[in-house]
Amino acid sequence: MTDELLTVLKFCFLALLYLFLFRVVRVVTLELKADKIAVPLAALPVTEAPVSQPKRSRGARDESTLVIVAPESREGETFLLDQEITVGRAPGCGIVLADDTFASQVHARIYRQGGKTYVEDLGSTNGTLLNGERISGYVRVRRGDRVQFGQTIAELTR
Amino acid sequence: MSVNRSALGQRRRGHELKLGALALVIVAAGHVLLALSESPAFPRDLWAFLGAILALFVIAHLAVRRLAPRADPTLLPLAALLLGIGYITISRLDVAAGAADRVGPTQALWAAVGVVAFVTTLVLLPTVRALARYRYSFLMLGVIALLLPLVPGLGREINGALLWVRIGPLTVQPGEAAKVLLVVFFAAYLVDKRELLSAGSRRIGRVYLPDPKHLGPLLLPWAASILIMVQQKDLGSSLLFFVAFLAMLYIATGRYGYVVIGTGLFATAAIVAYKTFGHVQSRIDIWINPWQDLQDTGYQLTQSLFAFGSGGFAGTGLGLGRPDVIPVATTDFIFAAIGEELGLLGTIAVLIGFMLLVGSAFRISLQAQRPFLKLFGAGLATILGMQTFVIIGGVTRVIPLTGVTLPFVSYGGSSLVSNFVILALLLRISDESATEAEDDAATEEARRAIESAHA
Repeated sequence: MTDELLTVLKFCFLALLYLFLFRVVRVVTLELKADKIAVPLAALPVTEAPVSQPKRSRGARDESTLVIVAPESREGETFLLDQEITVGRAPGCGIVLADDTFASQVHARIYRQGGKTYVEDLGSTNGTLLNGERISGYVRVRRGDRVQFGQTIAELTR
Repeated sequence: MSVNRSALGQRRRGHELKLGALALVIVAAGHVLLALSESPAFPRDLWAFLGAILALFVIAHLAVRRLAPRADPTLLPLAALLLGIGYITISRLDVAAGAADRVGPTQALWAAVGVVAFVTTLVLLPTVRALARYRYSFLMLGVIALLLPLVPGLGREINGALLWVRIGPLTVQPGEAAKVLLVVFFAAYLVDKRELLSAGSRRIGRVYLPDPKHLGPLLLPWAASILIMVQQKDLGSSLLFFVAFLAMLYIATGRYGYVVIGTGLFATAAIVAYKTFGHVQSRIDIWINPWQDLQDTGYQLTQSLFAFGSGGFAGTGLGLGRPDVIPVATTDFIFAAIGEELGLLGTIAVLIGFMLLVGSAFRISLQAQRPFLKLFGAGLATILGMQTFVIIGGVTRVIPLTGVTLPFVSYGGSSLVSNFVILALLLRISDESATEAEDDAATEEARRAIESAHA
């Protein structure tokens, strides 16, 4: 193998390397164009961003289940979320938290809409927490998320 | 398990496959070129080699297709290329090494183990946010991993640094695992406390300071990095931990004050270490003037600089230089070996590759919606970027040399496996955020449809 040929091949190899990098840059450009404006973490509010009020959809057949995980005395109690359910210390609530002195009378509501579950704080004194972060307005709850009202914690299981 | 065929996922996986195919062609070309420099015939193991790299990439690619279909398309091909270039350089150095010192086959084996670790991470971890719940367990595991080499009878000192642990026939670096474990903890902890840490409650002069009780755990990384520096004589990891933590603290709070305080703390520690410890002092002295003791202490660094020099603009060509005279060329000094045979063009290509890799990692962090995913991604990106900077800066005499591996390129099983896990975590974060964004967009659309039906 002559040295000249090896030199030519070396430059071909290097050219291939740069071709690869160029193609990666092109894919990155595409990604950036398709991307929404990225937000740095420090600029993100500590609670999830409130969105405008949704209209309730009637006749949604889907349902979801909320299980209480704390306090121990109520652990395992299950609530089916086939319609809107209110949470609070008032006897008329869907989930009555009579013993939870940190919960407000009508603390929050949980509802399903478009196949998704949302929780909305109804101006409670101590707030509603989603995975340990205080929410404002309504936020989406995903399977496995933990919602805390006063000292009661419930997990969305389905 | 159902594979959701979203347009975004389809597009991203298509790009990944095309870029990956090109990366494989380049790696195969390098393998052939290396063989041609020895004898004018194609290497006999060409088909076996092609089959092996193809199998490794296809397994990883299919795993992403199945388990993280909407993940970023650039990370896997970039990692494949860097790993390939590293492997070619390592097998190039094997040609000159004695039969007993060959490490190429071991590296190939580790690459396979790395891919297995990559797939396993994707399988075992359907959502990254689940990790945040076990933050203190990760802290404990991370600290144990860091301290493991200090246990008498278990630790191994290699090249003056005590960061190895012997398990049967294997020597592993638990510090590599500690990196990832501690980043999980930092991310979860800082997301919890960032409000408290960014809004000060006490006023001293014109600055508001956070409550000191929240600062306590922040001194822990500083103490840990000093301990690593003193006990394990590992300046590289020490710097890496501290900078990664500081970067995450800054990203979480957006306050420059922490960067100033952190840099001050590190500078103080560095000056004290320079005055107190011989090994730190000799590193700095070599950095300032490697030529004064050319044959002994300055040998490594000067050989590295000679390698870059003799490589010149386009390098000597694969297999045509003498990179084997550089000490520890397969690990710490692999960048110098690349510099000799592929020249400035080759090293700049490797640098751009790392820039794109780390850039993609930061882009994943920016695209994430959830604070934990954002911070975790940024932490992993910082680890990758800093490690690259520390070792490339070291061998090119930009900063004092501290031995860490060049991610994906250097020889070394622990490092390769941990980097594959980092890669899987980044892809998982990317997929998770893209899936949630798609979900939210669908919800929004449904809501609009309902609203227009009511109107």
